[in-house]
Amino acid sequence: MQIEKITIFGGYDKEGNKGNFEKVDIFAGQKIGIVGPTGSGKSQLLYDIEKLAYGETKTKRKILINDEIPKKELKLDPLKKIIGYLTQHMNFMTDTSVYNFLKTHIETRGKRQTKEQIENLIEKIIDDANTITGEDIKKETNLLILSGGQSRALMVADLAYVSESPIILIDEIENAGIKIKNALDLLVKKEKIIFLVTHDPILALDTDKRFAMKNGAIKEIIHTSIKEKGIANYLSWINDYLLEVREEVREGKQVEELKLICSPMGKRE
Amino acid sequence: MKIIIFGGTPGSGKTSIIKNVVGELKDLKIHYAKFDVLTSDDDERIKEKFDISTEVKISGEICPDHYAALEIPKIISKHKDKDIVIIETAGLCLRCSPYIQNSLAVNVLNILAGKPEGYGPLLRDADLVAVTKGDLISQAEREIFRSEVLKVNKNTSIIEANGLTGEGAIDIADEIKKSPELGEKMILRHSMPTAVCGYCYGNKIIDSEETLKRYTLGKELKAKIPNLNCGKCGFKSCNEFIREVLDGKVNETICPYLKREVDAGLSGVKNDRETN
Repeated sequence: MQIEKITIFGGYDKEGNKGNFEKVDIFAGQKIGIVGPTGSGKSQLLYDIEKLAYGETKTKRKILINDEIPKKELKLDPLKKIIGYLTQHMNFMTDTSVYNFLKTHIETRGKRQTKEQIENLIEKIIDDANTITGEDIKKETNLLILSGGQSRALMVADLAYVSESPIILIDEIENAGIKIKNALDLLVKKEKIIFLVTHDPILALDTDKRFAMKNGAIKEIIHTSIKEKGIANYLSWINDYLLEVREEVREGKQVEELKLICSPMGKRE
Repeated sequence: MKIIIFGGTPGSGKTSIIKNVVGELKDLKIHYAKFDVLTSDDDERIKEKFDISTEVKISGEICPDHYAALEIPKIISKHKDKDIVIIETAGLCLRCSPYIQNSLAVNVLNILAGKPEGYGPLLRDADLVAVTKGDLISQAEREIFRSEVLKVNKNTSIIEANGLTGEGAIDIADEIKKSPELGEKMILRHSMPTAVCGYCYGNKIIDSEETLKRYTLGKELKAKIPNLNCGKCGFKSCNEFIREVLDGKVNETICPYLKREVDAGLSGVKNDRETN
């Protein structure tokens, strides 16, 4: 299903007051940050979007997809489900190899593919996951022994290629051990709409808009400035540098050289 | 009246889910009955929160699901004024799970508790599967789990539910509203396993002769009592009474029916039953 536009109607805060705005439109390819203190309604907003709520949740929020009320089957049938979700708990629980896991998931999605297509897709997912994590994932590795960073990287790549949901919700993804910006780029590349709850400046300042939550409702919508995007780039460079040094430490090397960045917008690799 | 049966293994989140669902059904008159094996204060917790009528039934020495099936008619006849009776069963053996036709059978299934094909009628005969703890694993694994559930029960609807956040409660409440009214006759969706040996009469010795002995004694006593599970002896069921008698803890004359027979025998008057 092609999604060009999502519309969110304001809804009410915890005291039953109407939010500060009537509605907001979000278009394909946009990244939306959701920020605010604990209890301000960030997760509830993600929940409303995931449920494709139409006035039945406690915020009374309404969500339209391409200017239409979403059909019930979109909410329930996982194969038609248009929303992918990366939760805070990013661990695998299944005792199987990376290869078997991806194969089962591709088959579960029910798309008819030749053996060769499946093999190629698995290769592609693992390759792309390896651009996000510092420590390479191998296809015969057991899911349960993947590091936190490797698990997160694999989930992002899986979400990008297998789930193919046009809308992605990300709830406070941890950036330890992954190139967080590469991860997001991988998802956005496919013209998805991304909502992310985060206070990680690398992510929050790289969005198109930020919803500032207060007391259950969207209080303000902040448009990200060019300057903020520059800061995000700079911080991302520092994060990648950290990851690089982390890998050198892991490999038992002596760290010799101090890398300096001359310009925040300079080359990042 | 509608009857809603929630079954699931301990710790799957049944009670938390029910709490959220009851919160979504505020305009209806609800009675809540919890069946458990050892102890439970869930009835008080739910009563405190929603001020609906609640009760707890402890099965003790008998199969909790057989016990539930014995007690459900009594519960229903006491609560004819209610719109909805919610029964929560411990469903411990996964095999009994007393789902009734013309009810809504909900299986609360913990996604971390193993493969769906390991569950019997508890999952296979459910109308609705509420999958819990899904927030602890990846979406990919949730999707795989979902397809495995559908392999066991292809007609079920699956709702992802979370007892802490209340996720899924609205959808379960919707299914409850749509569910059928209870018919004249209550019929189980599947038969429960038979209990056939001395262990069912409380034998603890692992030995085939001892088991047979206990079974024979139990069967003899069972033939003499009316098997009404009337509770007049102080036990919940006739089987529990038999176990206590065979253990030597009580005398069989505490059964009022058996006492009448004994009295009748002593006075030399012919027993009612024999003449009839």
